[in-house]
Amino acid sequence: MSQKFEKLSVLVDGEELSSSSSDNHLIDDVKNDADLMQKWKSYHLIRDGLRQELPVQLNFDIADKVAKAIESEPAMIATKKTWRNIPIVGQVVPFAKQGGQMAVAASVAVAMILGVQQLNQADTDVPYNAAPPILGVQGGLSPVSYDQTRALPQTNESEQRRRVNAYIVDHNQQMRFKSTEQVSNSTEPSVQDMTIEEQVNTVENIPE
Amino acid sequence: MLVSSATYNALAQEDASDLKDAPTTTVTSPKVTAENWLAKMSHAMRALNYSVSLVLLTPGNDAQPYLWLHGVNDEGIELEQLNLLNGPGREVVRIGNKVSYFEPNVPPYSLESSIINSPLPSDFFRHPEKLKDGYDFFMIGRSRISGRAAQQIRVLSKDRSRYGLNLWLDQETGLLLKLNMFSLESELIKQIQVTGLNVTDKPDGFFSKIENSMLPEVISYQPKSLSNSDWEIKYLPLGMKIVKRDLHRLSGTGKTVEYIMLSDGLVDVSVYLQDFKGDEPIQNLVGKVESDTLLTIQQGTLNVTVIGKIPAETANRIATSIQSVH
Repeated sequence: MSQKFEKLSVLVDGEELSSSSSDNHLIDDVKNDADLMQKWKSYHLIRDGLRQELPVQLNFDIADKVAKAIESEPAMIATKKTWRNIPIVGQVVPFAKQGGQMAVAASVAVAMILGVQQLNQADTDVPYNAAPPILGVQGGLSPVSYDQTRALPQTNESEQRRRVNAYIVDHNQQMRFKSTEQVSNSTEPSVQDMTIEEQVNTVENIPE
Repeated sequence: MLVSSATYNALAQEDASDLKDAPTTTVTSPKVTAENWLAKMSHAMRALNYSVSLVLLTPGNDAQPYLWLHGVNDEGIELEQLNLLNGPGREVVRIGNKVSYFEPNVPPYSLESSIINSPLPSDFFRHPEKLKDGYDFFMIGRSRISGRAAQQIRVLSKDRSRYGLNLWLDQETGLLLKLNMFSLESELIKQIQVTGLNVTDKPDGFFSKIENSMLPEVISYQPKSLSNSDWEIKYLPLGMKIVKRDLHRLSGTGKTVEYIMLSDGLVDVSVYLQDFKGDEPIQNLVGKVESDTLLTIQQGTLNVTVIGKIPAETANRIATSIQSVH
């Protein structure tokens, strides 16, 4: 028996046995022998553990659970079919409800960011910086009714997009400049600040 | 019969050297470790003359084909070229510590740097030892990648706060054949698949055609570094350090932000702090831009934005840990 376990271990490791016929023989044995089958399972689990491949949650014997669930399911005969009764769709809905909020938030963010990127590429030459500072001044000059300032949700939204996008662009620039500093911590005579700004501003198409 | 997962985890963490000597992971001699393999990779990346065709994949995006050349000339200077082969192209040439970027719509320019900034984790390829504080390395086994015998290495963050890597290194040379970056839920974040690898005695003929004087001038960028700030980050993932801290203006908005760059040798994370007084704060949001996570939250009077290839939970933990010094 222990020899069999040894052979099984070798098989799990993917190392070839001496002859393929004994290989097949062993596989047949595993199919028929409950002990070996259990060992086969455990060896794989141990290997996954050693390789740190185990998932965050372990779901053992899904097949058994599914089989039991099916058995305990009351037979549905001649019920009116709605989409909820279709097994897969019925399962999906509560799941979607569960994770929906986060998923929607994330996808909105992605859509927003991607949208902005495309927008930005279309007219990179348009200076965006003109409008926003006025907002603050307006408030300082005269009391503006709440409704009036609220009447510009569209600009607030695009303003927000623009700001988020600015962070993404800057992150990519910083990654590129990061290695620069590692090489030269010495202060070299640098190009005038203005020139650098210009250069940096134009670096839009950075991979990733 | 089923033993709990905790037992196996304990087993796995018991002794890393056991792992390497386990029969499943033996390479040629039991002494070879994942660290040895990474050292071999880093040496090969720097010392060999090679030409690599590779494809970069990020889920949801088109595949991007690259040609990557590397050589060392007679004077011992490293020569490197990375070329995006689709579309208008994007070409980067490195001669020693001068990196020149040639991109569409931008006048070419050079930076002083020892690595090319690209979707490839070049810093990791050259200095995998930087990861040892924050990551564990595992030998996995051998397989066949791009028609060559490959050794698989897995890189996992010790505190499970960052994405992991699966690397397949060429058995013969130690060069990269395939790289998968995956999330904690084992979803693919990024994949690099080498489709052709050619190691030669001499550097590629391309490099002899480059005239150093023809390369664009080196520009330098040195914003004010920040010595004392009102804010501090209380939580950093294991092995992650602050590598840069400054005040600079965002070219997109013209606003000045406090900037902190974190790095663990594999991923770089940007943290932006912006006081939103007099300005409407950015709404809290979290999302993904290609393989980067973007998270922005309000923390007191600050808008904190975190961007980088890290899980959203980790980004959130970093952002919420920011506190006033006073």
